[in-house]
Amino acid sequence: MDYDAIVIGAGHAGIEASLALARLGNTTLVVTQNLDAIGRLSCNPAVGGLAKGNIVREIDALGGEMAHLIDSTMIQFRILNRRRGPAVQAPRAQADKFSYHRLAKETLEAQKNLYLFQDTVVDLLLNKEGNKVEGVITQRGHKISSKVVVMTTGTFMEGKIFIGSFVSASGRIGEPAAIGLGSSLRRIGFEVGRLKTGTPARVRKSSLNFDAMTEQPGDEVMLGFSFRDKKIERPTLSCWVTYTNEKTHKIIEDNMDTSPLYGGLIVGQGPRYCPSIEDKVVRFPDRLRHQIFVEPEGLGTEEMYLNGISTSLAEDVQEAFIHSVRGLEEAQIMRPGYAVEYDYLNPLQLYPSLETKKLANFYVSGQTNGTSGYEEAATQGLIAGINASLKLQNREPLILSRSDSYTGVLIDDLVTKGTNEPYRMFTSRAEHRLNMRHDTADLRLTPIGYDVGLKSEQDLETLKQKVEKLDVIKELLNKTKIGSKKASDVLRQPDVSIDDLIVEIPSLGEFERSLLNQSELDLKYSGYVERQNRQAQKLNKMEKIVIPSSFDYSGIVGLSTEGKQKLTAIKPHSVGQASRISGVRNSDIAILMVHLSRGKKDGGA
Amino acid sequence: MSRYTYDNNDIIYALASAWGNSPIAVIRVSGDGSIKKFSELFSASETLLKAFSHTIHYGKIIDPDSKEAVDEILVAIFRDGRSYTGQESLEINCHGNIIGIEAIFKVLEKQGFRSAYPGEFTFRAFMNGKVDLTQAEAVMEIVNSQSEIAHSLALKRLEGNLFNLINEIKIKVVDALAVIELQLDYEEDEIIDETHFPKEAIEGALKRVESLLDTYTIGRLYSEGCRVVLAGSTNTGKSTLFNLLLKEERSIVSEIHGTTRDYIEAKTHLEGIPISLYDTAGLRDSKDSIEQEGIRRTRGLIKESDLVLLVVDSSIDGYKLSPEEQILAKEEKTIVVCNKTDLGNVAVLEGSYPLSAKTAEGFKTLKEEIVKRLQKGSPKTDGSTVVIESARQKKELNRACEALKHSLEYFKETLPLDIIAVELNEALDALGSLSGEVTSEDILENIFSNFCVGK
Ligand SMILES: Cc1cc2nc3c(=O)[nH]c(=O)nc-3n(C[C@H](O)[C@H](O)[C@H](O)COP(=O)(O)OP(=O)(O)OC[C@H]3O[C@@H](n4cnc5c(N)ncnc54)[C@H](O)[C@@H]3O)c2cc1C
Ligand SMILES: Nc1nc2c(ncn2[C@@H]2O[C@H](COP(=O)(O)OP(=O)(O)OP(=O)(O)O)[C@@H](O)[C@H]2O)c(=O)[nH]1
Ligand SMILES: [Mg+2]
Repeated sequence: MDYDAIVIGAGHAGIEASLALARLGNTTLVVTQNLDAIGRLSCNPAVGGLAKGNIVREIDALGGEMAHLIDSTMIQFRILNRRRGPAVQAPRAQADKFSYHRLAKETLEAQKNLYLFQDTVVDLLLNKEGNKVEGVITQRGHKISSKVVVMTTGTFMEGKIFIGSFVSASGRIGEPAAIGLGSSLRRIGFEVGRLKTGTPARVRKSSLNFDAMTEQPGDEVMLGFSFRDKKIERPTLSCWVTYTNEKTHKIIEDNMDTSPLYGGLIVGQGPRYCPSIEDKVVRFPDRLRHQIFVEPEGLGTEEMYLNGISTSLAEDVQEAFIHSVRGLEEAQIMRPGYAVEYDYLNPLQLYPSLETKKLANFYVSGQTNGTSGYEEAATQGLIAGINASLKLQNREPLILSRSDSYTGVLIDDLVTKGTNEPYRMFTSRAEHRLNMRHDTADLRLTPIGYDVGLKSEQDLETLKQKVEKLDVIKELLNKTKIGSKKASDVLRQPDVSIDDLIVEIPSLGEFERSLLNQSELDLKYSGYVERQNRQAQKLNKMEKIVIPSSFDYSGIVGLSTEGKQKLTAIKPHSVGQASRISGVRNSDIAILMVHLSRGKKDGGA
Repeated sequence: MSRYTYDNNDIIYALASAWGNSPIAVIRVSGDGSIKKFSELFSASETLLKAFSHTIHYGKIIDPDSKEAVDEILVAIFRDGRSYTGQESLEINCHGNIIGIEAIFKVLEKQGFRSAYPGEFTFRAFMNGKVDLTQAEAVMEIVNSQSEIAHSLALKRLEGNLFNLINEIKIKVVDALAVIELQLDYEEDEIIDETHFPKEAIEGALKRVESLLDTYTIGRLYSEGCRVVLAGSTNTGKSTLFNLLLKEERSIVSEIHGTTRDYIEAKTHLEGIPISLYDTAGLRDSKDSIEQEGIRRTRGLIKESDLVLLVVDSSIDGYKLSPEEQILAKEEKTIVVCNKTDLGNVAVLEGSYPLSAKTAEGFKTLKEEIVKRLQKGSPKTDGSTVVIESARQKKELNRACEALKHSLEYFKETLPLDIIAVELNEALDALGSLSGEVTSEDILENIFSNFCVGK
């Protein structure tokens, strides 16, 4: 074997997968098309956001890299949704795109056990039986062997970009597609589909009239994502807001025929939660204006990102409608907006470990699994890397549950329900979201990160200290009386905040802000959190009943026909997962449990 | 998520006898700690705690809140490992009328017991090695096919108006929740649409859930029927009225006081409502031991009835109600009938219904009143005959109702939206269990189609 592990692609998924593998002691090779594109932010220059920000902190808690990368390269930071739902608030940061990529590359280069190589993978090496991966074949003819392979091809596998009638085989503008691998996977027997997404134009800063726009500054304090990085001191830039108008919409309507989408050139399904401007104009004709966020792409660049008007209309049309917007009248377009269509693997073909059912030791993560977004990609990469490594150590895979993390929800949704549009995380997908606040990610996941081997004793110790402090605060609130009431009861009232209590209980002032906020939320949400915990505990019992992947459903009397079909196709990892498959009945689950315990009974008593 | 979780630690209960009025009903309870938990509801709790396995005990089941006795029961207890399920278990023998059984269920729920899923007793029995795999499979197969049949039956029954109505309510709640989830899933400044709190939508949904809940009594009335008892002093014409209602000569009529000595039961229908009608022994002080027993039974029947027709002979000069009749006349479920109006010289008591059981004069009005009384508290909603009929439907609608109420209260108390969303999700879960599950995908779908969001 040349390597323990090979990772295909060094996007956000590939970065996490390769770092995890190398850090866990495996000699790992990253093969990527272009070393100058490692960790490139293809679309918006931002990391985090609602639910996504939680994911970044989960990655950090488990021992991944994304939080460090953004903390060191951010140019604006905000906590979103403070007012509406404290439990679903989340951090978001604007990134300096170039520094982000640069730091990602440096981090990979500095990592022991990790090797980087620029080439494009076109095929896989399989064992004789054709049921296990043994390495990769590249465009330039290298055959490289390894025990495990993690594939993270993003938008590049048979990628095609569209601008009006212009079509090119690329994964991002200016970067060639990875041709060949998609056909190989189809040949091997994988179900491969097409998805689509898009991006807006980048315009030159000095050509914009900011007086005609509204400024959107960041928070004063940059709190950061990582539980480790304490203080962040970085230059901060503003974003700007402007609006489309009826003239803009008229131009778009009149030129809809230049769209590759409406012309039927694109077959892949696009994301409904993030429609192109032409989509918005068609679907919401009553809307007189749409928002545009003008965001800086970095410190040392003039490029500005026009968030909200992703488009694949012809370039002259793009120019015309952009110029119709207040503040953008003179905008110089530096890169046009475009749509990209690419191959993805139906994720129902994966176990929750992200290993494929068809090919042993072959893991897939990131946009290739039908997701979209850097954070979604990164966390899958981390899990795939961890699980590939665990497999090499003959250990059980790490499967996070729906009640302990957004990552758990993401992967469970993918491998249980599949997806036919680019899947993005939303808080509403998580039934236990009140228990999954961003500030508790370390409590939830760092012990797991330690167990896996990515978190150190030191990390665990830091966590222990935090838990102790939280206990002290809790105790303090329970013991101290304000008037005739316990402080904790006073704080439970909706209109009282912990700041109001510091006057009464000065010793609270000794604790960090973040710990006080956390204690406050813990208390205010405790009733609900307990309720969700109880539900979660019940569900977790079913998650723990593992179904062997070789389990044969065909001979089981009493299973419903549909249940049998679905179970056979999806091969759920646990009874819990089985119970979430649509079409599987409760009575199917009962009989399944009866059969699973039979094995145990026969062997035991 | 209206999925079962097969958790063997829960204490479960189920009716083991057939659902319906019968002399005796049997409720089974299984789960570790069930004897101790149940003893807290039992009048002879000490005895129960100390009792050996396989013994039977008499006592009252007490509502923990009101401290009132709900029923007199016999309980059989089975200690660890020596029951059908292999767990600590109980068997409660209680009176077999539906209202009583439901009252007991309510008390059990208060104590944290939950109703068992289909096949769950057998499931536990298997898990504890009490039945073998083939037995378990056989039961599960039946459960599966039954649930299929029940499902299709339920759907068929629901297909009509009720299903549509619940669905409409559900859609309203989905709309309301979408407005809230939108604000939780997208940044504040990313939303330009109006996002007022969907108070009207929630209130509208709540109102409809409540009026649907009101139909429960009527729904049950039509499916299970009710008991109507004819009572009063001797010789007032109860048996005559009984025969008139049945349209046949079933009960002996004579001018001798005390003709009817034991009760007679007959089935009939009034406007589609199935009725068990009872003619009873007239109430009077009697030395005759057989008649005394008859009168005792009359009193028992009155207690268990849904409606009492207190028949009075209004032809007697200066007629006065006996003390017992006076108490009865004041009860809500009593209609006073002043009979023999054809004899003239009548003094009709206030609020009573004049009747001649002989000529049937006043009979139509009386019948209408009987039907009206039976349907009381359950106004037929809007002329359409949408009613809920099963205890399960009622339970789920109650859950939805509570959750919707909470969401409105929380809004008033200015609690954050993520907490309000929990309640709306709970309401949807309840409604979804009656007319099809709502997934997070459905909510997102609603957001994407109604709001223009996404950068
Ligand atoms: C035009 C466009 C619009 C987008 N719009 C959005 C959006 O609106 N919202 C959103 O959330 N996200 C959007 N994204 C997606 C976001 O960029 C991705 O979710 C994220 O980058 C995925 O990370 P990844 O690691 O899976 O893949 P990528 O970041 O795409 O990285 C894949 C890497 O693998 C390399 N590679 C691929 N195949 C091979 C091969 N065979 N051999 C060697 N190397 C290979 C590629 O060169 C690349 O470096 C958009 C992306 C693009 C290109
Ligand atoms: N004129 C007249 N006679 C009636 C009427 N109803 C009943 N009677 C007579 O009253 C007598 C008693 O009638 P029953 O129906 O036997 O009375 P009861 O209440 O069943 O009597 P017990 O069974 O003895 O309690 C009979 O002779 C009936 O014919 C009526 O409306 N008008
Ligand atoms: Mg009689």
